[in-house]
Amino acid sequence: MRVDTLETPIAVPAWRGWQSLARRARLRRLGNQSALVAFLLIVSMPIILPYFWMVVISFTARSGGVSTDVLWTACAVVIPAVLIYSVVHLMIPVKTVRVLAAIVLAVIGATALASLVGDKLHWLNYRFLWRANIIEEIRTKATAGGQFPSVWIAFRNSLALAVSQTLIILAVASLAGYYISRFAFRGREAVLQGMLVLHAFPAMTLIIPLFLILHWVGLLDTILGVMLVLATIELPFYVFVMKGFFDAVPWDIEMSAMTDGATRRQAFRLVVLPQVRVGLIAVAVFAFIRAWEEYIFVRTMLIENKNWVMSLYLFWVSDDIMGVDYGIVAAVCVFYVLPSLLLYVFCQKYLTQMTIGGIRG
Amino acid sequence: MARIELRGIRKSWVGATAVEQIDLAIDDGAFVAVLGPSGCGKTTTLLMLAGIYSPTDGDILFDGARVNDVESRDRNVGIVFQSYALYPNMTVLENILFPLRFKKVERGEGARRAKEIAELVRIGPLLDRRPSQLSGGQQQRVALARALVKRPNLLLLDEPLSNLDATLRLSMRTEIRRVQRELGVTTILVTHDQIEATTMADRIVVMNGGRIEQEGTAKDLYERPATLFVASFVGSPPINLLEGEASEGSMKVHQATLVLAGAAQGAMLLGLRPESVRAEGSGTPARIVAVEPMGREVLYSADSALGVVRFMEAGAEARHREGDNVTLAYRPSDALLFDKSSGRRLDVRLAS
Repeated sequence: MRVDTLETPIAVPAWRGWQSLARRARLRRLGNQSALVAFLLIVSMPIILPYFWMVVISFTARSGGVSTDVLWTACAVVIPAVLIYSVVHLMIPVKTVRVLAAIVLAVIGATALASLVGDKLHWLNYRFLWRANIIEEIRTKATAGGQFPSVWIAFRNSLALAVSQTLIILAVASLAGYYISRFAFRGREAVLQGMLVLHAFPAMTLIIPLFLILHWVGLLDTILGVMLVLATIELPFYVFVMKGFFDAVPWDIEMSAMTDGATRRQAFRLVVLPQVRVGLIAVAVFAFIRAWEEYIFVRTMLIENKNWVMSLYLFWVSDDIMGVDYGIVAAVCVFYVLPSLLLYVFCQKYLTQMTIGGIRG
Repeated sequence: MARIELRGIRKSWVGATAVEQIDLAIDDGAFVAVLGPSGCGKTTTLLMLAGIYSPTDGDILFDGARVNDVESRDRNVGIVFQSYALYPNMTVLENILFPLRFKKVERGEGARRAKEIAELVRIGPLLDRRPSQLSGGQQQRVALARALVKRPNLLLLDEPLSNLDATLRLSMRTEIRRVQRELGVTTILVTHDQIEATTMADRIVVMNGGRIEQEGTAKDLYERPATLFVASFVGSPPINLLEGEASEGSMKVHQATLVLAGAAQGAMLLGLRPESVRAEGSGTPARIVAVEPMGREVLYSADSALGVVRFMEAGAEARHREGDNVTLAYRPSDALLFDKSSGRRLDVRLAS
């Protein structure tokens, strides 16, 4: 009897106590997560909204004007959908339920959008993709003067610039980074510091000398000239990044490869390079995107319209005293952004590792 | 397989000397351990043998031929690093086949040899895995297989066991020894662990400060250490070293005077292994000041006329307690005498 009265009151409150503590911890975790999601949503708004608006304009604007009706209607559909999904994601940690919710919300959202603004959507602003001389069509022949090239020429030039940038930077940065990481040579410290200092200078200050040099060398107004200039200015940074990645590869592995019968070059190619794969991918993506988005140097050094790159094409589409056709500008923007966006989406897991490799040096 | 010889090897960099002077001959098929504390130049010596470093002075000979200028890849040396240095981008089989890529070995023949060596080191079922999917012991075996597949003249092991846990270390010790015996490959093991050296190698080379202190069997090093360094480095728990002063035929240690069997003069150190001192029979009176049970034996420290002497007794149970009075006895022939200034052992013994 006495034993019972002693035991029961102690055991039960303790058990209840654990439960309420657990409930409180769960609630707090949920609260923190919701606060975080809400914060991130709000902070990303100023970035996402303009892009969203850009896409909306490119599919809805007619005769050059811009209105926000469609944007707000679309927001009224998309934002609740995102919020509902966030709540589902937080409350139900089951993958199938989450996927199902995403699909259901996407279908509902798409249907709502189609019924609300479906009749306002059109492809007309994207006609620059198949009509070569688009400006002539919008304005009169007199203003444009038949000078506007097809977007595909600009696209090809941009692609050539970006791909060659990527290749040059990959080749030079990997070899130079390896050399600086592995070999002791006179002036190694100076090279390292010099590269950092060079990167700290605003490259813009070089624009006039570079223009003159290109003019004298005869590379002004050529893709090759811009390619060389950009590679020179960008390289120090990538060499530094690659050095960091090579620093993280242990010496033992190379020594082992060389006693196994490989030459230094074979050891580099067969054993070391595969281990800095992530670094190479990250450097390649960044180099590509840097060249793809380049504006200042191409604006200065490329003149004739057959040498235009995408950024120049965009500039000339939007530049006109007669008024701007924002529908087409937005459509060109979407077309221009798409390759970088795809590249980011597919390679983002490598890009986030770049800093890790860089720091380890 | 080859007979290896090092003649007057020295290695220095600007402002630092790693190896002062090494003269060493290793017979074909022998298993030699190079034992020494970190920074004594043992790994540098190993890398010179592998051809990664080239010696500043001296000659390296494989079967009597000078190989100083032969490149690492042509020396046909197998090496196992402390980190194993497996190629993470290749499977186990590709790792083992890697050395054969650079030799004129037929594909079928290579695969056969890889299988054979994999069976020998018992990693047959792991050939398709990546190094990151293996445990430490398995990685070790793969590294061994990769070093052996090219049938090396010389197998170099650089602290191969120090990244393994204690039980695995024990089994890998016997395993490496077994493989070495089966193939009869000349092997050099570099280690700072005396147990590893004594259990695996036929002969041990003790290095310190870029020089060889002594070379011999485990028994030689233990019973007749050439220098103070060897006496204190080999043996666990460490040897007692008691300071004394010798003149004519006697030696004064602390408050005791010992009779010498020969002539010696000057500052001396008397070396007594803890296991050769016993607390029984008649001898020097002493008082126990510390008791440290070590499992199978107990280590005591006792204050006596000789100074503080550590001694060991078998059995898990401590037979003496702190403050107990005992008498310490040892065979005079077990005591070692070292000249304090040169650090070398003297041939003089205590008189019985």
